[in-house]
Amino acid sequence: MKLFQKTKTEDSKHQRVLRELIKVVGREKVLSAIEDRICYSYDGTKQKALPDIVVRPDCTSDVSNTLKIANEYEIPIYARGAGTGLTGGAVPLMGGIIFDLKSMNRIIEICPGDFVATVEPGVVTKDLQDEIAKFDLFYPPDPSSAAFSTIGGNVAECAGGITGLKYGVTRDYILALEIVLPDGSVINTGRKTLRSVTGYDLTRLFIGSEGTLGVFTKITLKLIPKPKKIETLAAYFSDRDDAIDAADLIIDNNILPRTLEFMDKMTINAVRGYTGTDIGEDVEALLLIDLDGTEESISHEMPVVENACKESKALATKVAGTSKERETIWAARRSISPALYNIAPHKINEDICVPRSKIKEILQKVDQINEHRTIYISNFGHIGDGNIHVNIMYNDDPDQAELAESIVNKIMREVVAVGGTISGEHGIGNKKSQFMELEISPKELAIMKSFKNYFDPKEIMNPGKMFLS
Amino acid sequence: MEQNTHNKIQGKVFEEFCDSIGRENVFDNIEERVCYSFDATKEKSIPDLVIRPHSTEQVSNTVSIANQHNIPICPRGAGTGLSGGSVPIKGGIALDLKNMNRIVELNARDLTVTVEPGVVTKDLQDEAVKHRLFYPPEPGSAGFSTIGGNVAECTGGMTGVKYGVTRDYVLALEIVLPDGSVIHTGSKTLRSVAGYDLTRFFVGSEGTLGVLTKITLKLLPLPAKIGTVMAYFKDIDSALETTDSIIVKNHLHPRSLEFADKTCIDAVRGLAGKGIPEESGALLLIDVDGNEMNVANDISRIDVLCRENSALKTSIAKTDDERDVLWDVRKSVSTSLFKIASMKFNDDFCVPRSRVRDVLKKVYELGRANSIQVAAFGHIGEGHIHLNVIYNDVKEMDLPVHKLVSQILDEVVSIGGTITSEHGVGDTKAEFIELELAPHEIEIMRDLKKMFDPKDIMNPGKIFV
Repeated sequence: MKLFQKTKTEDSKHQRVLRELIKVVGREKVLSAIEDRICYSYDGTKQKALPDIVVRPDCTSDVSNTLKIANEYEIPIYARGAGTGLTGGAVPLMGGIIFDLKSMNRIIEICPGDFVATVEPGVVTKDLQDEIAKFDLFYPPDPSSAAFSTIGGNVAECAGGITGLKYGVTRDYILALEIVLPDGSVINTGRKTLRSVTGYDLTRLFIGSEGTLGVFTKITLKLIPKPKKIETLAAYFSDRDDAIDAADLIIDNNILPRTLEFMDKMTINAVRGYTGTDIGEDVEALLLIDLDGTEESISHEMPVVENACKESKALATKVAGTSKERETIWAARRSISPALYNIAPHKINEDICVPRSKIKEILQKVDQINEHRTIYISNFGHIGDGNIHVNIMYNDDPDQAELAESIVNKIMREVVAVGGTISGEHGIGNKKSQFMELEISPKELAIMKSFKNYFDPKEIMNPGKMFLS
Repeated sequence: MEQNTHNKIQGKVFEEFCDSIGRENVFDNIEERVCYSFDATKEKSIPDLVIRPHSTEQVSNTVSIANQHNIPICPRGAGTGLSGGSVPIKGGIALDLKNMNRIVELNARDLTVTVEPGVVTKDLQDEAVKHRLFYPPEPGSAGFSTIGGNVAECTGGMTGVKYGVTRDYVLALEIVLPDGSVIHTGSKTLRSVAGYDLTRFFVGSEGTLGVLTKITLKLLPLPAKIGTVMAYFKDIDSALETTDSIIVKNHLHPRSLEFADKTCIDAVRGLAGKGIPEESGALLLIDVDGNEMNVANDISRIDVLCRENSALKTSIAKTDDERDVLWDVRKSVSTSLFKIASMKFNDDFCVPRSRVRDVLKKVYELGRANSIQVAAFGHIGEGHIHLNVIYNDVKEMDLPVHKLVSQILDEVVSIGGTITSEHGVGDTKAEFIELELAPHEIEIMRDLKKMFDPKDIMNPGKIFV
């Protein structure tokens, strides 16, 4: 675990900050015991760094007051939702204050007539989805972590998830934000209307800014009518390229599935061991396809999708007839992340995205990079969007960690070379900041840094993220 | 009209432009310059020079020379804007991008297309259709307007209620910054979150931060079928009830849901739409799209909902031609209003859908109180209204019209609406942004403008007063 050795003066500064925070925010919302601090030292990357103080605000003014103090004393501060991020976004690399926003978890309003909802950042994604479903409405972005992750975190990273091909990503559903800037001032961007173009789009500048520019305290989302029906099909292939062909053919038939998920052989093997699912040994790849819409649209589209799979030499296809069958099929997809740890104790979870026409090529490149099978690589993901989670699995051997890093490095270069992006939905955090310059030219990086410098001149907001420090 | 008939860019600077961009692409004769002095707002201001680049390099050269000499530069697509965005109000250069009109590549497999800014929106839509693909944003001006202009204003259009706005389809941009440097933002992938979202920061920036030279857009599969219903109602309340039934109560997800009030209907009568009932006080035009069976079902349900809300008449388009006839009515509204008076101020506010009734009531009251005619139409499915203030173009009307517009926008903002939902701020609404944006937010926007354009050469006088 990374621990910062503090000098005596720093230590007394922290004591002063702690006293001030307790005075302004309230003792019950400020934690400094080691047991509490350890709980906030990691995220989904398993990196660890210990914060000095944890503040658990329950309103915008708590957030503002804390930032004023942090800014005055120039203490790093990290906004945190559920800590499910996969690039280190919520890890307090430089020590300082963790903002635990989970107490700000109210759904402030749902306006079924306006198709708009306003929430606090700590609302769990699934709780919002469920609440909205009561009005027969739908908030599409659905990251795999939806049961735990928070809307604030989703917006900070611009999460995508499994419905992106048809419905787009988090960015497409944000109408307005209340943001506390590093100096403690509160701004409101956007408008609670379905359209607004008044002035520059500050809303989208802050979406995906990974907590480096300010803290969201209210988020207004756009909703759409809930599809009346969902149906699921699983298709099994003896060749990975056949599965990719099938995905292409489905879309060529002018069908946008609600989800179009892909799993390669390594992933299937992991899942097979984990859930005891009866996927045949000859299966090299599978597609998991959800269609949504009305009874009529699905009954029209499902045969087309099934045919596309068969035409692409699927070994078998299986339509889920009941919701139980649907659950069984989906259980395999949901268990991937934990199941992968059956292969090896460590993983690096990349989320590259390439134009769909380049998927075969990039997967071949990944194979070539790992030609001697010195390490396990599992590929799965949102194939319709070209967003593949390349998971590099390795064991405790120190050489393996180094090998894994070097493989990631080579993959990133190939991804950018075929016109792809180093991150489709996880963000940059500290895990990928070294790769930014592969994709982003010095001039563009300089512009991004000048945005950062403008909003956060003292660099207190999530330091060490997005850019190499 | 600002009498800038004298070209102030002469001598060495003029030669510099000619040497760098080619004499044949630089125009200083008054006939050419007058053609670039206005947009759809009828504001007028003559540029000193017109420059018509063919490439990113020529744009970059133009901008960097202009920057060196502090010359204002006003990028222009088709000049169909409704907030003065392409009017060179401070003189300088009108940068005509219509020659940069190549569809660079359409990649059907990747559902992306890259175009130059001067491509006409309809041309892109047609090209996409050839590949059975669909570019949804459809401003009323799609037949003339350019993609560059659409992105610069973040236009919405007729299909927003189902498909969102221009912003939702822009994946990547090539941009020439005010210092002449060229940057590439975003990625030609359907998703990318590497770094801050510079792409969408430039979408809707109204030519005040840089010049877009390449635009990569996301496409969708083409819906198999579109169905259309037109319904006339005796009053606005019945039309709004119907909107509620369709969208809120029944969650039908129309492709378009357009509205026009009595003044608009009366203006159109005779020009388009046969057999409009005499007593019509409002119309709705509804498109649904999807597969054949869904469209047939939805259309008949919508027809029933219209009649349940006492529609005077409903028409269902059975062929594409019939569909065009119905849409002609809606598309003729904006120009037909000039039958009533020679001038109009075209507002495009948006309110939460549940507040449309309140805001319309208020707006008509304000019109009556000021004795000025107002007409309302727009994308009501999203709570969006084109509120046209109609008057005769005489000096005495300037003040009362300004007063009325300002009262209307005040009202819109006070119920949670926005002063512009697709036309942009330009110079015609610059004075009103402080109704909606707090001083601190305006200050941030101004600072960011300064960061990109310290000499204020890019479309000066727009967005900010």
